[in-house]
Amino acid sequence: MNPMVDMAFLLVSFFMMTTTFKPELPEEIQIPSSTSEIKMPENDICTITISENGVVYFGIDNKFQRQRMLDIVGNQYNFSFTEREKEIFALQTVFGTSVGSLSDYLNAREASVPFVQTGIPMGEQNELRAWLLAARMANPRMRFAVNADRRVKYPMIHDLFELLRDLNITRFNLVTDTKVVHASAN
Amino acid sequence: MLPPIDEIEVDRIHGTNDASRKAEKREVNVDMNPMVDLAFLLLTFFMLATTFSNPQVMELLVPAKPDADDAQQETPVKESRTMSLVLFQEKIVWYRGITDPEHFDISYDDTRLIGFLSAANKGTDGLVVLIKPLPESNYENLVTVLDALNNSGVQRYALDEPNEYDLNLSMQNP
Repeated sequence: MNPMVDMAFLLVSFFMMTTTFKPELPEEIQIPSSTSEIKMPENDICTITISENGVVYFGIDNKFQRQRMLDIVGNQYNFSFTEREKEIFALQTVFGTSVGSLSDYLNAREASVPFVQTGIPMGEQNELRAWLLAARMANPRMRFAVNADRRVKYPMIHDLFELLRDLNITRFNLVTDTKVVHASAN
Repeated sequence: MLPPIDEIEVDRIHGTNDASRKAEKREVNVDMNPMVDLAFLLLTFFMLATTFSNPQVMELLVPAKPDADDAQQETPVKESRTMSLVLFQEKIVWYRGITDPEHFDISYDDTRLIGFLSAANKGTDGLVVLIKPLPESNYENLVTVLDALNNSGVQRYALDEPNEYDLNLSMQNP
């Protein structure tokens, strides 16, 4: 039995070291496919997720930068968060609520109570803009990725691209699955 | 769940008195099953929780918004070098130039799209493709077209807003 146990522990340590946890999205996103072979960067990455129904979620990869980002946005909208709320916020890989209901969301998360996220407002009061700016302030090397469901209607995508352009983010990534096309470019 | 402590046996097999205990090598039997159970439990957990393949990304460069005092505004392009792709939900309508163009349909089939675009690219020196997604089109349509453009060697392409002509097209072809 010993060789098997050795093997099992080897695999356990391997998975423990290589694992990156899936971001816990409340909705399933079906991303489109492309033949691009560029891998998604692992750090300095800020992801804007749009679900099929047009709900916008936002997330950055670094836990410490999340807290800094929250401080910046909180200051801007005159919302103060308790230390506990900041700690919980730092653990959220992705979230999608307005700044106003963020506190309720974080408390619901702490109590493990279900909370329906309605998305980050992108209309008249463009909070996504504030988050994007804060993400870049928290990490000037931040790269941006758009992780949109393939069924999202174009006007929404157009608004997002225009917002990114407006913030001088002219290079960004579109997250896609791999697909193989059986034809040469000739 | 871990088994109760009395199940973990430590047996002394050889030796009954102190002298022989010291002299002889003792054999210790530890029940390893719980540990193995735990190891496999962890193994299963990490195997399921891990994302192995990081998703792919397609890089997109968009032009910066021109400043009001920017000397260089939009660069004009020869009409004969442009090709417009108007994205519908199920098909693409394409036409060349802007003055009274003849328009054709093409489907969102990757192979056909790549073949068509690379042929057009070879036939025209410095082809400029204008992508005009209609409001009814979705994100996947856009990604399919961008991917086909990347794979067919077209050097210049731009996302554009559909003009009145394109919007009329969508009225004609429901």
